[in-house]
Amino acid sequence: MASVHDQMAAAGKVKRSKDLPQGVERLKEEHRKVVKDCRSQIEHWKKVENDYESLQERLRTLPDKLSYDIMVPFGPLAFMPGKLVHTNELTVLLGDNWFAKCSAKQADALVEHRKKHVKNTLDDLQKVMKNFQNRADFTDDLEKLTGDTGDFVDIREEVINEEEVTKGKHRLAHKANSKPKQVYLLELEEDKEKKEGDDERTTGVLSEEELWARLDELERQEELQDERYRLDSTDTNGEDTTSSSEEEKEADGGSDVQVNGHQKENGWLPTSITSQMNGTNGSHPEDEEEEDCDEEAGNGLPTIYFSHTAEFKKVRINTGKNTTLKFSERNEQKAQAKRKKKSGKSNGHSPHESYKITSPADIYRVFVDLVNGEPIPRKSILKSRSRENSMCSDTSESSTADFEERRAAFGRSWSHDDATHSDTSDGITEEESPTGTSPRTNGRFEAFTGTVIEKDPLPCSIPHLTIAPPALPTIPERKLEEVGPEAPQEPPKRMSKFKATQLHQK
Amino acid sequence: MAEAIQKKLQSELEKYQQLQKDVSKSMSARQKLEAQLTENNIVKEELALLDIQNTVYKLIGPVLVKQDLDEAKATVSKRLEYINGEIQRYETLLKEMERKSEQHREVLSSLQHVNIFCFEMPQAADM
Repeated sequence: MASVHDQMAAAGKVKRSKDLPQGVERLKEEHRKVVKDCRSQIEHWKKVENDYESLQERLRTLPDKLSYDIMVPFGPLAFMPGKLVHTNELTVLLGDNWFAKCSAKQADALVEHRKKHVKNTLDDLQKVMKNFQNRADFTDDLEKLTGDTGDFVDIREEVINEEEVTKGKHRLAHKANSKPKQVYLLELEEDKEKKEGDDERTTGVLSEEELWARLDELERQEELQDERYRLDSTDTNGEDTTSSSEEEKEADGGSDVQVNGHQKENGWLPTSITSQMNGTNGSHPEDEEEEDCDEEAGNGLPTIYFSHTAEFKKVRINTGKNTTLKFSERNEQKAQAKRKKKSGKSNGHSPHESYKITSPADIYRVFVDLVNGEPIPRKSILKSRSRENSMCSDTSESSTADFEERRAAFGRSWSHDDATHSDTSDGITEEESPTGTSPRTNGRFEAFTGTVIEKDPLPCSIPHLTIAPPALPTIPERKLEEVGPEAPQEPPKRMSKFKATQLHQK
Repeated sequence: MAEAIQKKLQSELEKYQQLQKDVSKSMSARQKLEAQLTENNIVKEELALLDIQNTVYKLIGPVLVKQDLDEAKATVSKRLEYINGEIQRYETLLKEMERKSEQHREVLSSLQHVNIFCFEMPQAADM
């Protein structure tokens, strides 16, 4: 009895120590057994099928002759010559001790019917075999996985700061009725939300000030979003532009991600917060995610820590000539802090180059927004981003739409936009002042899209625009008209960008 | 006391093994029934393929007895029903036996634990 007990105890101990590999071995063995069984059964049924085939052949040839001369088996050891008669009369075993007398053709039909059954059985067996084969393979893989061999890598994403996940508003899809491709909208929405959430999860890795910067940016985006919604409701023009840019984007890669444009978001997602970066992603359009191959051994499995970034967004802009430009955007601050390698792509245009406008395409280069000191190209110059940040800006689409509206209404000071156009040569630094003043002028004054060449003297002879004239002839003229009165008239009212730049110039 | 437990363990083990045997027997009987079921189904279908002209025989012992086609069909259907009923019966029987064997297993494991406990102590004391 003691021995029994000992045996049990010993067995238990042994089992405990070698549990996993033993279990896996046993599982694999069972699988193999089943597979072998299946194979043998399949063989058996295949033989049966072949037998039926030859039987059918015999049945077809049998009634050809009235009688055959054959060697008849006589007991187990002897044959004797004899005749096979009544060649068309067959007694068929139907199964379960039932017999039926049939003709050859009827027997043929019966055999056919049986063959059907055999085929079904064969099919089932094949399925079972395949199934178990798959299971066996899976256990193999599993073993490799746990055993740390093979090419399996564990990919993890740290979720550090859950609170940040839904800062600000969730992005909502635009009105369904206005956009033909609503499906993408919804899908993208989820994707975006998820990505946004992911973006923000990696916050904890960054420093305080980066965090604040990020929060600020998100707030800004939120405001932009609001603005866009507001404008969207009144804006028909803008939709065209966005749809065109949307199409561009969709042509890009066709993935859901690219339907960014649908949502009228600035095509630049919240800037990324990454712990590590792969620099290569600049080549992927709208690549919001980057896998950070940060291999860490020691978990039993090599682990890649993954975090979402929204950095390298390439934006295709329809420059109106059916040409597209690509920009890649990067948030220098955050990226540089943590990046291992610098991204290969950067905004190729130097600020100064961009001000040399020789073609319409150049205009788009000029329309860049400054985000935290970085020039970020705009997806569409008709849409306005935050007025604060745009240098040339505010020839936002809102402006154009409203422009149409209010064209007849009254003259307005063509604000800062125009001014900045003319001042493009002054460099980016100008933007700071317009930035401060533009909020006030945001809602009321429509931007003018186009290159403005400033004439030297402020023509004071031009009639004052305080009175609302009927539809003004042309934009440039209006602009000129505006320039004059603006200087004397406006200062008390507000500080337009134009004014600001003027001051700066002085 | 430990030995008493040992004895109990043994008896329980035997009972359990007996139960397992019964289970496997029922299982094989059920499988046979299943085979018969499929066979009778095939016979039924093939009888449907025949016409009245063909004579149907039933093998009873060494004798082939002539049967009527319709009669044969009826007989086969009845047999099918019978087989189905048998299968149901065996199903319930199997379930019952499974339950019982489960109970026995639990008893066995508890006994085992007690047994080990009892044995450990005296052995430790001995050493």
